[in-house]
Amino acid sequence: MTHRILVVEDQEDLREIARFALEGAGYEVVEAASGVEGIAKAERERPDLVLMDIQLPVLDGYECTRRIKALPGMARTAVIAVSSFAMKGDEEKARAAGCDAYVTKPYSPKQLLGIIRQFLAKA
Amino acid sequence: MIAASALRLCGAGYGQVALYDGALLHMTAFDNVSPEGVEALRRRFPAPADHGSAMGRAIHSGAVVQIPDVLADPAYAFKSEIQTMGFRSLLVVPMLAKDGPIGAIAVGRAGCGPFPESQIELLKTFADQAVIAVENTRLFQELQARNRDLTALREVGRAVSSTLDLRVVLKTIVDRAVALAGTDAGAIFYYRPEVARFELGETAGIDQEFIIRLRNFDIVAKDSGLGEAIAQRKPLLISDLTKRQSNPLRAAVIEAGFRAALIVPLLSSDGPLGALVLQRRQPGEFPQTVVTLMESFADQSAIALENARLFEEIARKSRELEIASQHKSQFVANMSHELRTPLAAMLGYAELLKDGTFGELPEKSIRILERVQANGKHLLGLINTVLDISKIESGQFKLNLGEYSLDSMIETVRVATESLASAKKLSLRTDVAEDLPYGHGDEPRLTQVLLNLVGNAIKFTDAGEVCIAAGTKSGSFVISVSDTGPGIPYEERERIFDKFHQVDGTSTKTKGGTGLGLAIAKDIIEMHGGRIWVESIVGRGSTFRLELPVRTQTSRAAA
Repeated sequence: MTHRILVVEDQEDLREIARFALEGAGYEVVEAASGVEGIAKAERERPDLVLMDIQLPVLDGYECTRRIKALPGMARTAVIAVSSFAMKGDEEKARAAGCDAYVTKPYSPKQLLGIIRQFLAKA
Repeated sequence: MIAASALRLCGAGYGQVALYDGALLHMTAFDNVSPEGVEALRRRFPAPADHGSAMGRAIHSGAVVQIPDVLADPAYAFKSEIQTMGFRSLLVVPMLAKDGPIGAIAVGRAGCGPFPESQIELLKTFADQAVIAVENTRLFQELQARNRDLTALREVGRAVSSTLDLRVVLKTIVDRAVALAGTDAGAIFYYRPEVARFELGETAGIDQEFIIRLRNFDIVAKDSGLGEAIAQRKPLLISDLTKRQSNPLRAAVIEAGFRAALIVPLLSSDGPLGALVLQRRQPGEFPQTVVTLMESFADQSAIALENARLFEEIARKSRELEIASQHKSQFVANMSHELRTPLAAMLGYAELLKDGTFGELPEKSIRILERVQANGKHLLGLINTVLDISKIESGQFKLNLGEYSLDSMIETVRVATESLASAKKLSLRTDVAEDLPYGHGDEPRLTQVLLNLVGNAIKFTDAGEVCIAAGTKSGSFVISVSDTGPGIPYEERERIFDKFHQVDGTSTKTKGGTGLGLAIAKDIIEMHGGRIWVESIVGRGSTFRLELPVRTQTSRAAA
């Protein structure tokens, strides 16, 4: 069965790179350009894993993660935080919000695929 | 004592010493005088130094005076007193100091007639001794007073230089000024040039009620003695406030019970700063010595005010600089972050292209894409370095502690730098002890440090080898990265860990780099509670050594 991955990322280029990499690896990709859209798509599309950009305008990645994890049946869905911050306490904040992994930008698509594979194998 | 000695030596009936202040004679000592006699003398002294007394005559003539029979001397004005004491003849020798007469010594006898020459000579010797004694006493008192003034000035000086709390300094000055000048009250008023008004500062000897009244006064400079003193730039002495033109402040001061005032302006090179005011309940002049002393106090107050102003300015400037520096660090942090976003896209696309996501590429294109990637990663490294520094500077740098295997960390570093070493035909060797314990620290940061050290070693070494060695020693990992490069001159060995420092400008140009890597490495290692240093022989190579606690404590990491 094909795993479905939700990519929440406001930068179009980065969203596209993620899509190319993930589709190239055989995943089905759902894209969201904002936090609000991400929550809506998570509810509707029921992804198996979420790639969550942290620096989103309006509703940030921490808040989106909390809300997605609060959706019925989504509590155990892995959320991988993607951040270019790497500032004091960012990873702790991401973990506190419910993120299962933390990846800093720029990531190598290959590395990212490796992490995704681990989580999907566990699920 | 002089009177008693004189008496004994002269075999006379009585002795008396009086001091002369330039106008009046003051009784200071007597001997063998009956209580009635003392009483009689007390009634007449201080007495004018005129022809009516033998002392007066001696003071005026500067010569020895004899009255063989006081009753036979028509001008003698103390006949009844001398009779009360039971004497008829008098011998008086003036006490002559360098600047003029300072007193006289008198001896008396019951009988009439002239005194023998020997006694006169003796008394003259005595008068000379007395002059010296009196002069010494006066000098001693002057010295004491001067000493007291100097001590006070020194105290004030100390207060000015030791405390930057302006109020403490000015309070000390006012207190000391009042005590030394012997006045009843004192105050410092600040001058506000922008409104040409005075404001009450520190006070001494003024009750709370009057302080409140003074604070509420609108003291317009031109209508007050304070304004007059600063306008004339010299002390203003008011011996009787009631004789001056009335103004509301003066009326209030008089109402509070003060009659005399001394106002000393506080002047700086930039203009008047205020005034030091002394107030006395008794009308009268202020001695010149007090005025001079108060001028010194005013100078000290002006210095204190200037110091406080300068200090305030420096404090404000440094606050501004600190804020500016924080803004700069924040800006650099934000900027580095912003730079990474487009770079992430470029690197991502390059990797996708290279990996054939959009179809197989010719070998040549793949090589070019690899160059794009390598340059992009280098740029990313530079940006990350700048970001790290700005984080360290703005205090946002923090370790994320976790378990790590030093063994595999070194392997990661070796794999990552292998191609760099082989490109320069260098041998890259590792010498890792077996059974290393698991470490506790920030793995990515420590990897960064090792990558930096190994990267540097490869970069600066043109032939030979680079070796990474690791072991443990009393609870710490001991790690070394050695090379066979040019080595580091002794005087550079500390400075290479400074920010933006490289051994010399020419190598920077040929080898590249930001000069920040080692500074960051040092910060990271020290945050782990470890230390980093370099050993080197110029021409033979360098060895960077790390001592790193196997288990880093959280408290250290948070520092």
